[in-house]
Amino acid sequence: MLGQYVGLLLLACAPLGLMWNDPYWINILAYAYLFGALAAAWNIIGGFGGQFSLGHGVFFAIGAYTVARLYLDLGLTPWLGIFPAAALATLVAVLISWPTFRLRGPFFAIATMAINEACFALANYTDRLTGGPRGILVPFRAGFSNMIFIERWKYALLTFGFMSITVLITVLLRRSRLGHYLLAVREDEDAARAAGIDVLKVKLLGMALSAALTGAGGGIFAMYVRVLDPPTLFSLPDVGVKFALISLIGGIGTVMGPVVGALLIVPVENFLRGALGGEVPGGHLIILGIILVGASLFLKRGIVGAFTIALRRIRDRRHS
Amino acid sequence: MTSESFLSVENATRRFAGLVAVDTVTFRIGRGEILSMIGPNGAGKTTMFNLITGQLSLSDGAIVFGGEQIGKLPPHVRAQRGMGRTFQIAKPFIGLTTRENVMVGAFQRNRRFAEAFDRANAVLAEVGLESRADVSAGELTLSERRRLEIARALALSPELILLDEVMAGLNATEVNEVIDLIQRLNARGMTFLVIEHNLKVVRAVSGRVIVLDHGVKIAEGTATEVLSDPTVVKAYLGKRAE
Repeated sequence: MLGQYVGLLLLACAPLGLMWNDPYWINILAYAYLFGALAAAWNIIGGFGGQFSLGHGVFFAIGAYTVARLYLDLGLTPWLGIFPAAALATLVAVLISWPTFRLRGPFFAIATMAINEACFALANYTDRLTGGPRGILVPFRAGFSNMIFIERWKYALLTFGFMSITVLITVLLRRSRLGHYLLAVREDEDAARAAGIDVLKVKLLGMALSAALTGAGGGIFAMYVRVLDPPTLFSLPDVGVKFALISLIGGIGTVMGPVVGALLIVPVENFLRGALGGEVPGGHLIILGIILVGASLFLKRGIVGAFTIALRRIRDRRHS
Repeated sequence: MTSESFLSVENATRRFAGLVAVDTVTFRIGRGEILSMIGPNGAGKTTMFNLITGQLSLSDGAIVFGGEQIGKLPPHVRAQRGMGRTFQIAKPFIGLTTRENVMVGAFQRNRRFAEAFDRANAVLAEVGLESRADVSAGELTLSERRRLEIARALALSPELILLDEVMAGLNATEVNEVIDLIQRLNARGMTFLVIEHNLKVVRAVSGRVIVLDHGVKIAEGTATEVLSDPTVVKAYLGKRAE
């Protein structure tokens, strides 16, 4: 069972081995792995727990700012900085979720989106922490302990490692008590309560785990782009909504769905942005939107779901 | 009463705005007993169920379970104290397999995956769903869904199980299978509170019966006594029972 996922991860690693010397593709790949990890983190509460958060940009930004500030002000290596970043993201997630988890379905999604926008405005005003609208610039000083590399493939290896850890956590979660409880809460809260499940507690635990991983990912993102400003970190189409979009297309609530979605969407988006950017600004968003509509209409559990069903049909046919 | 009261409902009342859905209802269940609750549609049976399991809160009155006041506890705590229930409209977790559904219940007393897995398999065998363990719960037939609901409740290792019309929509063979299951579990000491419309089932399984009408308890006694009571016949059956 675990071996199957390790195999799939090695398969996802293959392009890294093939293209490690091509700076254009390796850059895209590093993004794809990072967003695969972030979507997998979102999927814990959004997919398994069924709580459709559009506010994960907040945890992502907290992680990025925390790692950058600790690195710049105290000289703390980002390798350790991601831990307080994850902890702070978790704390904020629990504080935000406590009241918003009373809301169900679209109301929860809208509330989390509103919180994302409020935090965006707040980040613009807190100059001393976030650098305000100008943002924070992390100077380029290459070195392992700074998590800053000259060779791009090292970033891809780093984000691949982070994605692997996130996927393995998801695999373990899926088999655990909390994993079963999250799924039960998603399917039917009343029936979950009747099975002895403390619904609010389970949602908060799922959100905490999801936010911690999102915060850590934000920290890695900070050292990769090294320019942190509110429009980048709190962007709905490029951050908060994208985690959900990648999971929806790849397969929401499945273990590998977010990874498959990211490896598909990130390169396609980069290609479209390059091909359409000059002629039709924003044209790539229209096409991504169409892909999303198509996926939600025809692929109930995304690409991974469709693939699983096809595999089962083939197996059944062979047996009969 | 066969033994000391195990669940006791005292003057339970639930008001919805102007409507009194359950009106000062009092009854007791002894350990190991099967008590049936019958009454016409809208009599307040499911409301009474939800008051006992905590899905609804009492407007007035008290509920004592295993010697303890539970009237103010949230539903998941009551489930943890040993109350399993089914829903009138079955609520399987359709995105999960049949076994995973039962494991959700089994995880209550077994924290490790392997233990919950084994417990779920044992319960599935008990209700006759072992061959459907790996099927998505959304693909189960109505009768299988009903048995899955019982299995999920059983997996909690409860002391009391509340069944809300588990026979509705089942054919005669399926009804007999479920009656068998209830009697088997009861023989091992399980206590049941059953809402049932099927009078054949009520006669088959139940020692005592209480009758609700317009939220009020209008009769209590053995199945034969209650079903020949003129008040019950008038309220519930509309004509003399054959």
